[in-house]
Formats: sequence, structure tokens, C-alpha cells
Amino acid sequence: MNKLLKNNYEVNKSSPVKLSSHHLLAIEGMQKSEIQKLLDRADYFANLDKHTDTKYLSGYVVLNVFFENSTRTRVSFELAARRLGAEVINISLINSSIKKGESLLDTASTLNAMKPDLLIVRHPHSGAPLLFAEYLSCSIINAGDGRHEHPTQALLDALTIKRRIGYLEGLKISICGDIANSRVARSNIHLLTTMGAEVRCVAPLTLMPLNLEKLGVKCFNDMKEGIKDADVVMLLRLQNERMSGTENPSEREYFKFFGLDETKLSMASPNAVIMHPGPMNRGVEIASALADDTNRSLIKTQVEMGVAVRMSIIEALNHSKNKT
Amino acid sequence: MTHTIFKSIKLINPATNFNQKVNVVIQNETIINISKDLNLEKFNKDNQTIIYDCEGLTMSPGIFDMRVNIGKTENLKFTQITAAESGITSMAILPNQTPKLNNPSIIDHIKRQSEDINLPKVMVYGAATKDLNGLEMSEIGLMSEMGAIGFTNGNKSIKNSLVMRRLMSYATMINRPIIQHAEDDDLSGLNQASTTSIRGEMNEGEISTRLGLIGIPACAEVIMIERDIRLAKLTGAHYHVAHVSTRDAVNVIREAKKLGLSITCDTAPPYFSLNESKLLTYNTAFKLSPPLRSEDDRIAIIEGIQDGTIDAIASDHRARSKDTKAQPFSAASVGASGIETLFSITLDLVHKKIIDINKAISFLTINPAKILGIDSPSLEEEKVADFIVFDENEPHTIKQKNLKTSPTPFDGKKIHSKILATYINGQVAFMNQIFKNKIIK
Repeated sequence: MNKLLKNNYEVNKSSPVKLSSHHLLAIEGMQKSEIQKLLDRADYFANLDKHTDTKYLSGYVVLNVFFENSTRTRVSFELAARRLGAEVINISLINSSIKKGESLLDTASTLNAMKPDLLIVRHPHSGAPLLFAEYLSCSIINAGDGRHEHPTQALLDALTIKRRIGYLEGLKISICGDIANSRVARSNIHLLTTMGAEVRCVAPLTLMPLNLEKLGVKCFNDMKEGIKDADVVMLLRLQNERMSGTENPSEREYFKFFGLDETKLSMASPNAVIMHPGPMNRGVEIASALADDTNRSLIKTQVEMGVAVRMSIIEALNHSKNKT
Repeated sequence: MTHTIFKSIKLINPATNFNQKVNVVIQNETIINISKDLNLEKFNKDNQTIIYDCEGLTMSPGIFDMRVNIGKTENLKFTQITAAESGITSMAILPNQTPKLNNPSIIDHIKRQSEDINLPKVMVYGAATKDLNGLEMSEIGLMSEMGAIGFTNGNKSIKNSLVMRRLMSYATMINRPIIQHAEDDDLSGLNQASTTSIRGEMNEGEISTRLGLIGIPACAEVIMIERDIRLAKLTGAHYHVAHVSTRDAVNVIREAKKLGLSITCDTAPPYFSLNESKLLTYNTAFKLSPPLRSEDDRIAIIEGIQDGTIDAIASDHRARSKDTKAQPFSAASVGASGIETLFSITLDLVHKKIIDINKAISFLTINPAKILGIDSPSLEEEKVADFIVFDENEPHTIKQKNLKTSPTPFDGKKIHSKILATYINGQVAFMNQIFKNKIIK
């Protein structure tokens, strides 16, 4: 059992990661070595006993600023920050300042004036966290921006795969579903291709963004073909809130062609694992029984790894800011 | 009345295909003499004559900017003054301002309001449809009598085919063009009923996919132009496409011109000098309509300029406040400033040897005048002295902080030409210190 204490944490092989930036805005552009180090450090945190003292960041102030609904991501960040001993304040801005007509930058600079160390931002508009990073002095983590990226989700997905399979390089990973509207898909594509995995994207053509293959992936409209011999089948939620009614005839038709069931899964590698960033639409993207199949589904592990990954990132951003 | 002499100046006059070093003498609002050998005694009888040494400088007709939006950040007079400082001596403004230019009395009002003989002339496009609703024809005959030079729905396309057909037929009767912002707004997700989940934000392609922004396919432009060309053929109308931005649009217009149809088009500096890769940092100064397109489209616009498929270059000026641009890309306003950079970015085409200077000046002066049926500006004896003086070899850098309107999509761009003076009706509308120092006596 690990019984590392604050004092001897320096002697552990795994130490805080130093990144080239004190923000985490996107996976695109990140170095393979940085990703590797973050995953190693997160792996270390994941192995720790829940009661191990990891309060390295006492006095560090984190604002969890969410302009969109979220339960799992917000709670996961909060837990990660608290386990590091940081002060966390949750701010939901879905209905407040925005409706009063205050501009995003005014809201941001008001928050910045309270001198937080880190702002964790989720926003419905692609690129919004970049705007924060441009104008504010504290560190920024992108907790999901529009259809752009969700970098911490990709990191936790990678850690989940590594802990189950042992490595990423050379794995066949199929990302299936609403690629067009998915920030999770974009972050995963960048991360997994950077780490040397073979990434395939499976979606109806109406939900497949143009020129996606230029991101280094193979594109499929036939799910059986797309998940053939796959080691990992990653499903995405059908984001009805970002659709106009012209993308998909019905949920049952979607499930028939793009929902994961036993027949389609039989095309994948016999040891294939199933992942989903949640929340799931059972019977739409995935047959309910498969989601609950603990031998094959890593969905709960993904949630668990979220805390460890976010600890490693928060710690790294603090470390990177101090040293630059 | 005293004379002003511009000594040893290179005079470019596209209307007469003239490009020579001469001396130009003006008196009151008129050019009275253009000659190679200057008879100083003749023009300097009272010893009050002003003489500028213009060695190395160039004179041409003033710019006619055929597409200017007067937005909320500006008023007409401010825009006129800024235009004069930018070498513009005439400009045509769009009807989609507040209040909308959709009836004869407001057209008349704008004409009167802008009648300062020492500022750029203001010409007005009337709203093609009532309240710019796209459904019913507005009083285009009465607006035409009040001086409206053409009809358009401004930054929205005239979408209904029957409405477009009727407008074209009617406009033919009064000999005015219909100007179209060509965009299938259902396809671009920009019609009034479009939900935010499909509102087009930039050109569709690899970059929109990377950025997670909603793409507007390039064909949204040509689809509208192809339909309109068929209606122009049916009605015989003069149809003008504004701010052409795609290869397919240039190709289709080129073919239509070969058929002898009365079709013209313009483009704007962003579309021949920038492409969609500028958006990679979500910089909202590049959020335009039509959106910045691919590099291949940009090259096609250049080709269209070279072979004359594209007739004119306009600023497409649409200044925006910093507040509406300092937003996430999706929430930011659309448009950028243009009048202050129109001249230098167009002359950049000359510097890059894409077109010659006579042609560049034509795109900014006589070509838009011909399209809109206005007397072509020409610098000849006995003609009105509306002209600019500029230096073709004055390298400098465009900087937002030095401009009066924002945002410029050309911040940091190195350019090579500079406006030194603008004369309107023989009066100095603008003169910078460099030119003031050229005075001999």
C-alpha cells in the first residue's frame, strides 16, 4: 500500500509535471512527452489510497466557472482540486450575468480581480477559454468549449485505456457517433494520434465534419467496417441540443445503424473495450446491457480516472506557472 | 482666384488610358491645364500661386468606394472624413443602416445631409424590398428619382425567386442594377429562423473542423449566383454580385459574361489578400460575411481580377465596436473596417506584380462608376478636380492603433503606398504633413 506523505512526496519517481504553458486550452499542439508525463503522474495519483495526504496546494484558489450545465466534470474538477488541498468555488453562470447583458470579458475580469490561481471554464462557444487566457493573468483550464475541445476528457480516456491495455501506440481505436458536434472527439483524435494510435471515426455523413481525415484519422459511415478489429470502441453522445432536426431521422434509426449492440461489437477485437464520456443515451448510442457489462465497459473507470487526471493537470499548471 | 500647380507629377487617368509625368494646374474646382512644359509666368501672374514639387509622386482620380456600411459605431460625417483621409472622393452606402434606407424621403435626406462640397460625395443604394424583408418590392422608382443608384438587401440576400424576378424586371425599366449579397442563407444556417446550433460562423473545411466552428460551404455563394443569372437572362436585368469570394462564383460569372449578359461583380481586399487560416486563433477581426475562404478561392479571386471577370474592388467597410468583437467567436459581430485600407491593399496587387497600376486605379475609380451608371471620373482639362496624390514607394505597416475605424483585418501588414492628399471639387479634403512640406512657394 502506498502511504506517501507530503514530506516524502519529492522522493517518489513521479513528480509534478512542468508544461510549456500555464494553461490547458487544447490537446492540439501538445507534445507527446508532455502528455506522457501527465498520464504517468495521473497514474500515480490513481494508485494512491483515497486517504493519502496530497494537499500540496494549500492556499491555491480555484474557480470552477461553468457557462453550461455539467455534473460529472464539475464535480470531478472540484474533487481533484480539494484532494490537492486547494480552495474551490463553484460558479454557475448559465442564467446570471449573461442574461443581465454583461459581456464575457467583464465577467471574466471581475472574477480575475478576486485573484484566483486557476479558472476552470466550460463554455458553449468554441474558443471562449482562449479569450480568457488572452485577457486574464491566472491559469485557465478548458473544461469543454463548444464543439472545439475537452482536453481533460481525452487525457482521462487515455489513462483509462493505458491502465486496462497497458499502452496506446498502435492500438486501433474507433470513435463512433456525433463527431461533428463533439469536443470530446476532437480532443481524443489529437491525443490518440499524437500518441501513435490508429484512430478511426464512425458517423453518419450528416454528423461527420468536412475534411476530418486531415486530422490524421480514417473515416467510416458503416459502423461494422469502422470497428472491425478495434481494440477500443469509444461512443459519443448524440448531442440533440446542438442539432437542427436535419441530421438524423430518428433515434431508433440511429440505433439501428450507429448504436453499439452485440452484433456490431462482434466485429471488433474479441478483447475490445467500450468507452463513453457520458452522459449516455441508453438505447441510442449503446445497448443498455453493453453499457453495464463490467467486463467490457470502462465507463465507470473513465469517471474514476477523471479525478486523478485533473489532479495531475492542476498540479502541473501550478508548477509550470511558478517556474516560468 | 489663385492657381495650384502640381509640378512633375505622374498622372494616371484610366478614362483616357493616360500615364505620364506632367504638370497639373487647378483653379477653383477645375483642372485648367495639364502639360509637359510648365508655363509658370502664365499661371503665376499675381505671385499667389501655390506650387507643389511632386517629383516621385502620383496623381489619379479619387477612389469611388462602391460598398460602405455605415454601422452603429459611425455617423455619416465621420465616415466621410475618414474616407477623404483614405483617398476616397465618392462612396456608395448600403440601405441596411439605422434607420433603413427604404423610402424616397430618407434617400433625399441622406443626400442633403451629406452635401458638403469639401467631403466625399455620398451615393445611396435603396432597399430592394420593403423594410429589407425580402418579400415585397419597395418604392424603387421613387427612390431612383431621388437619386438611389441601385437596389439591394444589403448584407442579406434577396432569396425569394419570384421577388428577385420582379425586382430585376422593374429595375430594368428604370435602368438601375440589382446588387446581390449572394448567399443561400438556409445552407449557411443564417436565415432568420436558423437556430444557434446551425448558424454558420466561417468557411467550411479542415479549419472549421479543427476549430469546432460551424462551417458555411463555399457553394452557398454560387448557388445563389447561378439562380440569379438565370433570372437575369429571363429579365435582361443588370445584375451585380457584391463581394465575390469563391472560385466557383468567379467561374460562373465568367461564363455568364461570355453569354453577353449584363452581369458585373466586385470583390473586397480581404478576399484577395487573406484566407481562412487567419481564423486559427479565433481572432474575431477576421469574422466576415462572406467568410474568408480557402487559399484556392483566394487565388481564383486574383485570377478573376487579372482577367477582368471581377470588375471592381470595394472596401466592404463594416466597422464594429471593440466590445462586440471582444467576444467568443460565435458571439462576436460580423464585419471589419475597410475604407482606410482599401487603397493600400489594392495597390499591393501592383507591388506584387499581379496587375499594373492603371488597372488597379481603374478597379477603384472608373469601373465602379461604369457599373453604377455614374459619370466616370477623368482628370482632363476643364474637368472637375477630384483627385488624390499618393506615393507608390512609401513602405510602412498598417497598425490598428493608427486607424480611426476597427477592427482591421490587416493589422501588422506591410504595405508600400500612401495617400498624401485628397482634393474634392478643387478643395483640399485631406493633406498630410509630407505633402505640405512639398510646397515650393
